[in-house]
Amino acid sequence: MHHLDIAGLEARYGDHTVLSGIDMTVGRADVIGLIGPSGSGKSTILRVLTGLLPPVAGTVKLDGEPVNYADAAQVRRLRDRIAIVFQQYNLFQNMSVLENVCVAPVKIKKRPRKEVEEEARLLLEKVGLGDKLKRYPDELSGGQQQRVAIVRALALRPEILLLDEVTAALDPELVSEVLDTVRLLAQEGMTMLIVSHEMAFIREVASRVVFMAGGRVVEAGAPAQIFDAPAEARTRDFVSKILRH
Amino acid sequence: MSYTLQFGQIWPFLPRLLEGALISLQIAILAFCGGMLIGTVCAGIKSFGPRWLARIVGAYVVFFTNTPQLVQIYFLYFALPDMGILLSSFAAVVIGMTLNAGAYLTEIQRAGFESRRVSEMEAAEVMGFSRLQQIRYVILPHVARVLFPPLSNQFIIVTLGTSMAAVFGVEELTGEAFTINSQTFRSIEVFLVVAGLYVVLTLAASVLLALLGRVLFRVRTELI
Repeated sequence: MHHLDIAGLEARYGDHTVLSGIDMTVGRADVIGLIGPSGSGKSTILRVLTGLLPPVAGTVKLDGEPVNYADAAQVRRLRDRIAIVFQQYNLFQNMSVLENVCVAPVKIKKRPRKEVEEEARLLLEKVGLGDKLKRYPDELSGGQQQRVAIVRALALRPEILLLDEVTAALDPELVSEVLDTVRLLAQEGMTMLIVSHEMAFIREVASRVVFMAGGRVVEAGAPAQIFDAPAEARTRDFVSKILRH
Repeated sequence: MSYTLQFGQIWPFLPRLLEGALISLQIAILAFCGGMLIGTVCAGIKSFGPRWLARIVGAYVVFFTNTPQLVQIYFLYFALPDMGILLSSFAAVVIGMTLNAGAYLTEIQRAGFESRRVSEMEAAEVMGFSRLQQIRYVILPHVARVLFPPLSNQFIIVTLGTSMAAVFGVEELTGEAFTINSQTFRSIEVFLVVAGLYVVLTLAASVLLALLGRVLFRVRTELI
């Protein structure tokens, strides 16, 4: 059984169709790299999966169970299992690093604060932020903020982690520290969907790469296949443009 | 200038001036708290309420921010008795200043409400926060932090505005100054001391508010 099974997924912003029939399967511990030109719908898939944009057609199955995005209770349960990290980190500016990480597990999930804080400390140490617990987001660099955002998502103990262009807003010298964190998660067997323009990184870390254009999946396969021997002309075109610089 | 400052005659009146300052502060706090209440409700209506109600609130704000406060209080004090509503001078001043502060505070708070960050709310939503939890943990702390400095400023403005009460015979700081001036004819000295007391009053309020802002909302302001 697939961990995540997406079939015929369609989504719209107003009159504008952004996803027109997406089929995709994700196995446990898969790392899926979503690539494609801007506006191809990569980020929209992640927004639909977390229930931020309700789909207009198609099905999403989590461990074989279909998800009904119109049912608020179901969407809530889904959000216990799928977490997302945004391009702009979206940290709570009024909370310290530790509070950012702990607020949802403690206040929303009602887990004991001591246990959550202990876990948060360990996670933050793991990503090299053990000395920043009391800092506030505006006192951190972009790379540090993004690592906090990743830890905040992990503190919810998700089964699947969605990363939406997590390095796109960072200065080049800060990108690697965030990618190191993601690499670590991949090694630990976290199921991930990664939208990114860091092609070298996708190639290294992804178990499968999905190339999208115009709201559809053009081609999917192993990284070596997509980057070195793409079957579709559009993939070839995109890859050659990206790899040239 | 050959004038020699003589403060000797003023010092005996210092306790009265301090009492007056206390009344000034009292009026300021009453008007500000009342104004906050009005401002919060009206800002809520302007941001989230039905359009017809928002229009009424808009008219209220336009009226009170575009007419002199003195004229507003005059109206309450002299025109309302003709309609059978008799207000003490203290009440007229407090009500007038409350309505005036309410109008300004409506605009300040509306700006705060509208500065709420969609991205943070979205993050909270996908982390399982309900709408109410989003308001409590994300929106309100943020709005409080953004609003704290302009609200503090408004409090200072209201405090200084209380001197208008003297016109209506309220024995607050400026009112006391009028009285003492007519008894001693030491105008320059009296008003120098009074000005000094206003400075002390507002500086103390500023420092206190800045400290409060730092502790409660992590607002970064210079203390003075």
